[in-house]
Amino acid sequence: MKILIALTLATLAATAPAAEPVALKGQLRIPEFAALANKASESVNVTLDPQLLGMACRFLNADDPEQADVKKLCTSLSGIYVRSYTFDKDFAYPQADVDGVRRQLSGPGWSRIVGARSNKENTNVDVFVLLDNGKARGLGIIASEPREFTIVNIVGNIDLEELHSLEGKFSIPNLGIETAKKPEPPKPEPPKKK
Amino acid sequence: MSENFENELRRALRPVDAPEGFTERVMRALPAQRDPVLPPVVNQQPAYRLVKRFGIPMAFAAALVLSVLLGMHVARVQDQRMAEEREAAGLAASRELMQALHVTSQKLDLAYQAVKTPPSPAGDEENRT
Repeated sequence: MKILIALTLATLAATAPAAEPVALKGQLRIPEFAALANKASESVNVTLDPQLLGMACRFLNADDPEQADVKKLCTSLSGIYVRSYTFDKDFAYPQADVDGVRRQLSGPGWSRIVGARSNKENTNVDVFVLLDNGKARGLGIIASEPREFTIVNIVGNIDLEELHSLEGKFSIPNLGIETAKKPEPPKPEPPKKK
Repeated sequence: MSENFENELRRALRPVDAPEGFTERVMRALPAQRDPVLPPVVNQQPAYRLVKRFGIPMAFAAALVLSVLLGMHVARVQDQRMAEEREAAGLAASRELMQALHVTSQKLDLAYQAVKTPPSPAGDEENRT
């Protein structure tokens, strides 16, 4: 009887579905948008999990100044996920899926640092940061235009100072990210004259 | 007449003993008998013994050495292929990384432009933070 129970348990364990990978802190559940890739005129689908990102960092050329800076930045990251689709027709993408991702960014910890809406061009751009103990652990960008939508999710210890150092490269604009300055040591008071 | 002929024939065909020394003369006239040519006798016994004793172990040893060499060659080829695949995957991943950062920078630029552009009097900019 015991053997039968053990065999049953072993069979159940073997046939049980594999556990889903645990999402990292700051990682969004981004749909695959597999059906959209056929409809889109241009698409960018980048999924760099910690393992792939580590490999990508190792293969960056340290002699290339642009890549050298990225190499420094990406060692502290644990994932980069990008979905970007361009269409020939307006709003050919499911707005509900984009809104679903947007809703995740309204969860606890996430703060919107940039939000821009243009009724004229029908463009929405939101930049979110997940803050944990004063440190950025995730970055989310959702940009939707009539013929294009982009979702970017960068996971890991995002060093704003290093991101700041990339400004001007890759045409990254100066977002006015201010890095915390170390407080200056108090100046010794001059001796009081008696 | 016929009786005379028969008698002469009988006398001519009568058995006569060979003259003395005839046999020796005939034997002398015959060519000397040669010895039969036999194939050279090779002593195969030691080689046969060696083959019998070490043949199978040697075949096994040869097969083992061959297997080891073949295995090493296959492992080396496989290692080389895996290294090439790793390199190709790494280069592809680094290209993806750069592409991802380019897309990120484009969208940050879009946000930056939207934030920095002064709002038009028509009020088409709904919300800027």
